[in-house]
Amino acid sequence: MTTDRRPLLLMTPALLWLTALMVIPCALILVLAFFRRGVYGGIEYTWTLENIALVFDPLYFRIFLKSAGIAGLSACIACVLGYAAAYAIAAMPRRRQPMLLFFAVLPFWSNYLVRTYAWIVLLNREGLIVNIARWLGYQGELPSMLYTEQAVIIGLVYNYLPFVILACYAPLSRMNAEVTEVSRDLGASAWTTFRRVTLPMTVPGIATGFVFVFVLSIGNFVTPALLGGGQFQMIGNLVYAQFITANDWPFGAALSMVLILIMLGLLMGQAVVADRAAGGKGRADD
Amino acid sequence: MTQPFLSIRNADKYFSVVKAVDGVSLDIRENEFFALLGASGSGKTTLLRMLAGFESLSGGDILIEGSSIAAMPPNQRPVNLMFQSYALFPHMTVAQNIAYGLEMEKLPKAEIKTRVDAILDVIQLGHLAKRKPEQLSGGQRQRVALARALVKRPKVLLLDEPLGALDKKLRSEMQLELKRLQHEFGITFIMVTHDQEEALVMADRIAIMRDGALLQVGSPKDIYEKPESKFAADFIGVMNFLHVKRTGEGFATPGGTPIATTHVSEGVGEGEAIAAVRPERLFLGDAGDNHVSGTVSDIAYHGLDLLVHVKTDLSDKPVIARMTADVADNHRPEIGQPIALSWFARDTHIFPA
Amino acid sequence: MTDRNTFRLMLLILGVVFAFLYIPISVLVGLSFNEGGLPTAWTGFSVKWYGALLENSDILKAAGNTLIVAVFSTILSTILGTLLAVGVEIRRRNGKWLETIIFAPMIIPDIVLAIALLSMFSLLNVKMGLHTITVSHVVFNLAFVCAVVRARLKSFDWSIVEASADLGATTFVTLYRVVIPVLMPAIVAGGLLAFTLSVDEFIIAFFTAGAGRSSITLPMQIFAMIRFGVTPEINALATLVISVSVVALALSQRLNKEGLPGQ
Repeated sequence: MTTDRRPLLLMTPALLWLTALMVIPCALILVLAFFRRGVYGGIEYTWTLENIALVFDPLYFRIFLKSAGIAGLSACIACVLGYAAAYAIAAMPRRRQPMLLFFAVLPFWSNYLVRTYAWIVLLNREGLIVNIARWLGYQGELPSMLYTEQAVIIGLVYNYLPFVILACYAPLSRMNAEVTEVSRDLGASAWTTFRRVTLPMTVPGIATGFVFVFVLSIGNFVTPALLGGGQFQMIGNLVYAQFITANDWPFGAALSMVLILIMLGLLMGQAVVADRAAGGKGRADD
Repeated sequence: MTQPFLSIRNADKYFSVVKAVDGVSLDIRENEFFALLGASGSGKTTLLRMLAGFESLSGGDILIEGSSIAAMPPNQRPVNLMFQSYALFPHMTVAQNIAYGLEMEKLPKAEIKTRVDAILDVIQLGHLAKRKPEQLSGGQRQRVALARALVKRPKVLLLDEPLGALDKKLRSEMQLELKRLQHEFGITFIMVTHDQEEALVMADRIAIMRDGALLQVGSPKDIYEKPESKFAADFIGVMNFLHVKRTGEGFATPGGTPIATTHVSEGVGEGEAIAAVRPERLFLGDAGDNHVSGTVSDIAYHGLDLLVHVKTDLSDKPVIARMTADVADNHRPEIGQPIALSWFARDTHIFPA
Repeated sequence: MTDRNTFRLMLLILGVVFAFLYIPISVLVGLSFNEGGLPTAWTGFSVKWYGALLENSDILKAAGNTLIVAVFSTILSTILGTLLAVGVEIRRRNGKWLETIIFAPMIIPDIVLAIALLSMFSLLNVKMGLHTITVSHVVFNLAFVCAVVRARLKSFDWSIVEASADLGATTFVTLYRVVIPVLMPAIVAGGLLAFTLSVDEFIIAFFTAGAGRSSITLPMQIFAMIRFGVTPEINALATLVISVSVVALALSQRLNKEGLPGQ
């Protein structure tokens, strides 16, 4: 029937675009991961599992674990801060909330490089924090704050915090104030109410926030490159290196494939959490 | 008989396996105000949307003045629909909304302006022509929606719950207003409603729909006074139902009290049946053919009249009698008091159990 | 804990978080106006570092390139994303795979998409430059435009589409006289969002720009400059880049709100 084809017609250009410039390239990566690296850096079209095996070589797997550790820690810190901020925004008068939310999210949409660069300004050897310490009378040698793991974590938390606030605010604002009031009315303390009512109802928001920060952090390339300095490697930088300097595309593709798999796995996990929180009811509109 | 103006012939509509409209055949006259009355899910809205062209027919045909419109897309049908939500274009002014349909007909600008101005006068909204829909009240929006459909001078105007979104007072005003406009424009109106009172007040003829099929078609008076089924009797107005049994030629309550009647509907067999009588047909005293006595269990005050609930041994539910306020003033019934009521055989309907 | 104290705690949390979010940017903006250019001392207000930017031909060239990429990718992605959103919302029953494909560009790690595109372009021997950056940016931009327009469509009264047909309009006329005008605020908001995303995007541009300096974009230029350390010029440039994003986003937010009557 014609009425059913029209929407498909509207969707076709965009879907073709996404197929040609996202689906096919990503599929290509998956294929590339199973080819051999050529002697001079090209691609030799013979099948191999070497690249996949190399990913699990202790040398590289260590980088994977370290990246995951940094991403996990960043995601945890971002979730704690983000949830607290979202909770505080939701506790403000209703008409002020959109404005507060807007300003919480605003930095997220400004240039990522610039936001990361701002921390170089703060943390470098002649940076503001050092200057403030001097001004306060601290004379001794200050440990370098830039180009450390901590700097990378600060940068990641800083960059992705607005997203976590947004993700946590959504379920918090949807929550009916009466639900918590009922809990208080039934004799629960404020803390118990938070633990038994508010938190479980807003877990999907935290899960979404965590997954996003983790996924975006573990594959991050800019933050470790700028705040971690040259010597500091995460998977993103490793992938970058395979394509730009080492010229080992198949290995870079294998690393990317693992990144894609991690991303898919976490997204599925997050969907499960969201489903559970909705008591299975969330599927009703499928 | 001459050719009917609008003819629905054996129309069916399936949504996958669900039959939403089931073999509906209906002739509608020119200049008639016709109401499709039914509960939600009765198929009345689907039938209306089939007339407008938004639902295709799974079977059957629809003809206007003898030619089929079943295959015509909505934008080519000589039929316009006034949507339940009014569906005004939010980005256009009142005048632009009304002009839209005329612009689609590619009429000259001057004629469009004349016709828009004229209809704005009719609906008395000329002073709001430059307003946007969000700046209008509910009643004003409704009139704009009506004008937008009417200005195209369709052969048939379809109205989907036209008064559903208005408050009660405005609703009764608009009921008469709609009737006046229909008269003035001389256009056939087909209205969908779930409100039986609205249908009774406004329509020349009513079709009661249930489970996608027509249950009864007739004038409001026929529908109200001569319901052909227990469903129709129950759906329209308030009705008392009593369990009865056939006793030879007549009927009687389980207790043996005879019930005289002049209306026995089709399908009433031996054994159990149901007798029905309207509350306003019951009166104090024993002048009627059928009698009942009991105690007053409740009194609902409605201003003009009272609904007196009487606990009797004829049925589980109390029998309801409607009394005008002046009767009640003379013989004020009180809760707990014994009361004797009667009614005539001609007001008694018997339906199959 | 009393309600009053709870409220104070909430204010404190907000204060700390907003300070964390805004102090780094503010310092950057402040330093860009510091005559001396160094964080060690405030030597007076000056816009000389902005003047210095105007004399830097590399930066001007990069800014020009960025503008070209952003404008074209915004136009393309706004059209594609809007059509996609309308189609998806009319259809309503969309398979999981479809939702995933539409959602994926927003979450796929950019380094992965970047190398995937690079691999494809090189294997197909496509000469890379501003055009490849532009078409690559459309991938994620159209997903964001689609998301913004879909959000507006959730509260869209579809009966006005039927009303338009009922009044005699064809599908095409309905699209450009009813659907698009009603969606316009959301479409413009989505477009502005796409524009800022494109102006700011670094990694995909970096990988799909091809060799040579001719198609360097502003973020690529900034990245190169940052690696040499903190300079007053970067502060000024960063301030400008932030301003563009903030203005575009504030505009987008404003438009989209006005586009939702009664909300």
